Amino acid sequence: MLSRVASSLYWLSRYVERSDGILRMLKINYASSQDTIQEFTWTPVIQISSGGGEAETSVVKNDSRSVVEYLLFNRDNPNSIINMITLARENARSVQEHIAKDLWQCLNEYYHTVKDPKLLWYVQKDDPVTALDILIKQVMLYYGTAGSLMERGEIRSFMSIGKYLERSIQSIDILDIKFISISNNPDLLTDTSYWQHLLLSLGGYELYLKSYRKGFEAENVLELVMLNNDFPRSAKYAVNNIQRYFERLKSDKNIDHYNQLSFNIGRLNSTITYSSVKSMKAEGLHNYLVKIRSELYGIGNLLNEYYFANA
Amino acid sequence: MSTISLHRYQHVSNTWDEMYISDNHLREQYHKIIGYLEQESASDLNKKEELAKRLFMSQGITFTVYDSGEGIEKIFPFDIIPRIITGTEWSFIEKGIKQRLKALNLFLKDVYHNQFIIKDQVIPASLIYSCPHFLREMHQLNVPYDIYIHIAGIDLIRDYDGTFYVLEDNLRTPSGVSYMLENREITKRLFPDLLPQCKVRSVTEYPAILYKNLLALSPRAVANPTIVLLSPGLYNSAYYEHTTLARLMGVELVEGRDLVVRDQRVYMKTTTGLQQVDVIYKRVDDEFIDPLVFNPKSILGVAGLMSAYRKGNVAIINAIGNGVADDKAVYSYVPDMIRYYLNEEPLLKNVPTYSLGNPEHKEYVFQNMHKMVIKKTNGSGGYGMLMGHAASEADIENYKIEILKDPRNFIAQPTISLSTAPCYMDGMLQPRRVDLRPYALVGPDGISIVPGGLTRVALKEGSLVVNSSQGGGSKDTWVLAS
Repeated sequence: MLSRVASSLYWLSRYVERSDGILRMLKINYASSQDTIQEFTWTPVIQISSGGGEAETSVVKNDSRSVVEYLLFNRDNPNSIINMITLARENARSVQEHIAKDLWQCLNEYYHTVKDPKLLWYVQKDDPVTALDILIKQVMLYYGTAGSLMERGEIRSFMSIGKYLERSIQSIDILDIKFISISNNPDLLTDTSYWQHLLLSLGGYELYLKSYRKGFEAENVLELVMLNNDFPRSAKYAVNNIQRYFERLKSDKNIDHYNQLSFNIGRLNSTITYSSVKSMKAEGLHNYLVKIRSELYGIGNLLNEYYFANA
Repeated sequence: MSTISLHRYQHVSNTWDEMYISDNHLREQYHKIIGYLEQESASDLNKKEELAKRLFMSQGITFTVYDSGEGIEKIFPFDIIPRIITGTEWSFIEKGIKQRLKALNLFLKDVYHNQFIIKDQVIPASLIYSCPHFLREMHQLNVPYDIYIHIAGIDLIRDYDGTFYVLEDNLRTPSGVSYMLENREITKRLFPDLLPQCKVRSVTEYPAILYKNLLALSPRAVANPTIVLLSPGLYNSAYYEHTTLARLMGVELVEGRDLVVRDQRVYMKTTTGLQQVDVIYKRVDDEFIDPLVFNPKSILGVAGLMSAYRKGNVAIINAIGNGVADDKAVYSYVPDMIRYYLNEEPLLKNVPTYSLGNPEHKEYVFQNMHKMVIKKTNGSGGYGMLMGHAASEADIENYKIEILKDPRNFIAQPTISLSTAPCYMDGMLQPRRVDLRPYALVGPDGISIVPGGLTRVALKEGSLVVNSSQGGGSKDTWVLAS
C-alpha cells in the first residue's frame, strides 16, 4: 500500500474517532448543564475537546448553547466537529478508491449534515441535543458501514490503529483533566454526579454499575477506564487492539521497522497490564498518565516515520 | 395533474434538432421516451430532477469552486432527458473515429521519427516546429506497440443539416468519461425499465477495456504488473474522475510525491518499501511530468521519469508529446494525414479552419470576424475564445491586437450552429446546444469505442459554449442497438 494512502486512512480514522468522543462528551455535559442548580462549568469540556487555553474559554463564556456551537461549528477551533469532519473527508477523498464506496458516501453525508443550516438552528434556537443526536447517528452509520463493508487487510489495520490510538489518548486526557479538577476541589471526590457524568461521557456508566456495586469511587473509575479489558474505551482495550492490528502488518520487507515499533507497542501494553490503581497512585496519577500518553505519541511518530514515509 | 407540454417547444431556425424533425414530428428514436414522458406530470419530472441532484451530491460527484476562502461544492448540471443516437449514426461515427485515430497515431510515430510527412511537404515543418507541444525529448523514443494515442475523446458537433464535424481531437488527457458512466447510473434510477425497452447499448465495459489495454503495455514480463493512475491530486478539478477510474479498474491512484525514480526505473513508496511501477496512466499535463526535463518548478511530476520512459522501463498513457497532434493549427491537416497515411477519404469532416499564421487566411478572417470563432491553438476548456457573432466591436479590436502578437497561436473557424437537443427546464422542454464526445480506447488489439459518450449541453439559452467551466452541463447519451 502507498505510504500516503496508509497515512490518510490512519488520519481519517483518528478524526472520526475524535469527533465521536467529542460529540458524546458534549451530549452528556449539555444534559448535566440543564440539571444543576449551581452554575455549570464548561471549562474542562473545552479543555479536553479543543485543547484550548484561557482565550477560548473566555470566548464562549459559560453559555451552554454557545459552547455547543463553538465545539461543533467554529472554524477557528481546530477540533470543532466541522473541522474534524472536513479533514476526515478530505483524507477519505484522497483514498476513495481504497475504502468502500458506501463508507465514502457516509463521510460525505456526515460532512453535508454538519453544514446543514438546520443543525445550527437546533443549537441556537431549538433543542441542541437534537443536533448532537443527528451527528452521533452519522458517526454510528460510519462505524456500522466500516464494520460490515471494509476489507480485512492492511487498509483496516491502519484505520483501526488510528482509531484506537485516538481513543486511548482521549480516555487518558479525560481522566487526567477530571482528576486534576479533583485535586483543585476535593469536594468533587464525593460528588456522585461528577463521576456519573465522567462515566456517561465515556459510555462506561452501565458497565460500571454492573462491575462495582458500592457506588461511585474514584479508584474504581480509574480502574475501569485504564485497566478493564471489557470496556471498549479503556486504555487497556485500546492498546490491545493497537497491538492486534499492528501485528497484521508484519512483512518480511520491512522487518526491522516492524520489530522496533512492535517492541514499543508491546512495552506500552505491558506497562498498562502490570499497573494497578495502587501503583498508579504511588507513581502519582498525573505522572503516570503523562507517561502513557507520551508512549502513545511515540507510537504515532514511529508510524509516521516508518510507514507513512514522512521521516 | 399537468403533463409536460411537448407542443410549446421553440425550434431554433436553421438548426438540426436531435429530437424534432418539425413541430410535433419526432425522430423515431425518441418515440419511446417521449411516450414515457407524456405520462409523467411536471411534478414527477421535477422530482426526478431533484433525485438526480441528490444522487450526485451524496456520492460526492462534485467539483469545488474556491473563491470565498472555503470551497463551495457544486455538481455538474445534469439534464434528465437523454440524447439518443441511432445505430446507423453510431456505426458511421465509429468508423470515422477509428480512421482518424489510425492516421493521427501514424502521424505521431512519423513526426517523432522519420518525419516523412514533412519531407513530402504535406505539412509545413514550420507549423510542427512552432508548436509548443512538439516535444524534442520524444525524438526517436520508441513506445510499446507504436501506440501513442491510447485514449482519445474526439469532440463532434452537428451542423444545420445534421452532418457530423470533428471539432477537436483530444489526445492528451481527455476528461469526462466518469460522467458518461455516472450519468448512465443515474438514468437507470430515474427511468426504471426504460433502458432495456429502448434497447440502449451498455457503456459499463469502459474500465475493463482500458484496464486490459494498460495491462498489455507492461514492459516487464511479470504476472502482476503494477499499474498506477498518476493524478495531480485532490485539488484538481477532475479528481473525482481519477478516483472513479482507479476504483473501477482496481489500480493504484498515485500523486507525483508517491513516486521516485532510481536507476531509470519508477517506484512507488509503499508501507513496505519501494515497489516498481510498470504502467502509468497519466492525468498530469506533459509539461509538469518531469521537472528535470520540462517545467523545473513542477511538483506534480516525478524527477527522472523521462529517463525511465526513454529507457523503456515504464509505459506512459497517453504518450508524452501527443499535443502536437491535437494542436488546433495542426488539426486542419488531419484530412491530409488520412489521405497521406491511409490513402482513404476522411469520413468525418473537419470544420473549415483558418490558421492566422498564414497571412492570406489572416486577412480573410480579419474581414469576417463576426462570422468566426477564434481560438488559441493550445487552449482548452473554452477559455480565451472569441465568439465573433456575439462579440462587441471593442472586444474584436482587442482580440485582433492579441492575435497580432503571435498569429501562429490562433485559428479561426466559421461559426457552426451546433445541433440542439431538448432539455427539461422550468417545467418544459427547451432546445439547447449540444456536442458529443465519444471515448475511444486504443490497445494492441485495436481500437474500441464504447457505445455512448458524453453529451455536453450549453445550458444558457442561445449559448454555443458547452464547456463545463463555462456553465455547461451534460446529458446521458444513448446509443441504440441496430
